[in-house]
Amino acid sequence: MIIAERKPFAEIKAMVAPYKKILIIGCGTCVAVCLAGGEKEVGLLASQLKLALGLEDKRLEIGEITVERQCDLEFLRPLCDFTADYEAIISMACGAGVQYLKQLCYLQPIFPGVNTSFIGVNNEPGYYTERCRACNHCYLGLTGGICPVTMCPKGLLNGPCGGTIQGRCEADPEKECAWSKIYHRLELEGSLDKMRRIMPLHPHDRSTTPGTVIHPAFKRRYGAHE
Amino acid sequence: MSKLQKTLAGGAFTVVVELKPPKGTQVAEMLAPVGALQDRVAAFALPDNEHARMRLAPWAAARLVKDAGAEPLVNLTCRDRNRLALESDLLGAAALGLENLLLVSGDYVTLGDHPQAKPVYDADSVQLLQIVQGLMAGQDSAGNPLKGNPVFFPGAVVIPEADPLAPQLLKFDKKVAAGAQFFVTPPVFDLERFRQFKEHMPSHPVKLLAGIKVLGADEVAQAAAGQWRKVYSLPPDLLAELSGKEAEEVLALGAAQAGRLLKQIKDEKLADGVYLKAKGRTDLMMRVLEAAGLQHKG
Ligand code: SF4
Ligand code: SF4
Repeated sequence: MIIAERKPFAEIKAMVAPYKKILIIGCGTCVAVCLAGGEKEVGLLASQLKLALGLEDKRLEIGEITVERQCDLEFLRPLCDFTADYEAIISMACGAGVQYLKQLCYLQPIFPGVNTSFIGVNNEPGYYTERCRACNHCYLGLTGGICPVTMCPKGLLNGPCGGTIQGRCEADPEKECAWSKIYHRLELEGSLDKMRRIMPLHPHDRSTTPGTVIHPAFKRRYGAHE
Repeated sequence: MSKLQKTLAGGAFTVVVELKPPKGTQVAEMLAPVGALQDRVAAFALPDNEHARMRLAPWAAARLVKDAGAEPLVNLTCRDRNRLALESDLLGAAALGLENLLLVSGDYVTLGDHPQAKPVYDADSVQLLQIVQGLMAGQDSAGNPLKGNPVFFPGAVVIPEADPLAPQLLKFDKKVAAGAQFFVTPPVFDLERFRQFKEHMPSHPVKLLAGIKVLGADEVAQAAAGQWRKVYSLPPDLLAELSGKEAEEVLALGAAQAGRLLKQIKDEKLADGVYLKAKGRTDLMMRVLEAAGLQHKG
């Protein structure tokens, strides 16, 4: 899933300073699971803002709403009428959600309430780690299920750099060296030959941004589109 | 064939000395060892933004070494250039008459002095070796033909004390397969561990230059404080000898010790030569070579 972190309160407070009536829109999927932008976090931010501005004798009217997914028009459309009353919107969704929401609610300024961090996993509540850079050319079958593009900071494809220290990564001693782990996994699988092959240069054109995917079953419908 | 290649092929014990390209345009200090030592060393190596710290470009520095009448060895990392830039710099190097290459992945960006820079690593060191092979055969990495093929003598790095060692050895094999003709190791201080590595090292027809380094007081202090995070170890007795001394005294003792190590490596034929790092200082390089009994070339 997509992992995000709530923006620092001072930054959000500064963003909405010019307004008297704002709407905070949460997203009920990834950012809710990682405790950054779901219904609860929308409520928390609203109270924080009210409290802080109250102490300064300022008034801010805040609407709160959370939709299932902001990256999906189906859930965004019903919001249109609702947003018209507000001067500005804070979206607590990932960057994709914020952009999609703005596409619909284009009359007011929109502000991101979170920093979108990465695609990762939920290790334990509150503890998330990155796993995939969405390179669109997945190597996991060759690397024992450990992503060399993401888990090795250098994204090396042909084995460890010269900086591994006691199985730890040169860039961050808190982390294991991805290539030490890949070697170990492949050895256990009995498929070290996969690592002996020289991997060619990565096709970066496969992840030229912004990416588009059209499912084969929909090729006819969207054929000529971007 | 480059002079370095000839020296190594001829079987003579080969000394490569590393220079320090400046942070700035004052090149006199960097070049000082060239005049003083060129009759004793086979080549002068030019690191490429070593430790991810920005310095003068290695190919430009290498050309200056060449103009001063000596043999340069250009280091090239994958960290700062995508494949277009790597290839175009390689062609540029060839056009300047630079043949010797040491091709490495490069220390990670956040460890250096521009920690917010974008890390590139479009190619890894194995792929960079392949790129070099391709250029020599007249093709860029996209398969386009070249007008005029460069000639290179490509080398790479191997880590004798790598932990774990097995993945490192596997990569060593890949580097050989990708065309590396010589290897340089990080500094060696513990000869016993180096001998063990030699036993594990797959046999390939490649040359090996063992790293020799003159330790500085800051490094000694770091190690003494238990904060040593390097891919080579420092024996405790060496550390004890160098600890708590004045900076210049540490360097002097370190140079003498480096010289003794160099001599032992040469006498025991543990490597085909050495790659000496002595802070870019002529006096230290001289001391090492003298302590090793290598006053004159050969
Ligand atoms: S190789 Fe890594 S970055 Fe690429 S798709 Fe697979 S997991 Fe994601
Ligand atoms: S130590 Fe391992 S994970 Fe870290 S950069 Fe080097 S190869 Fe990649």
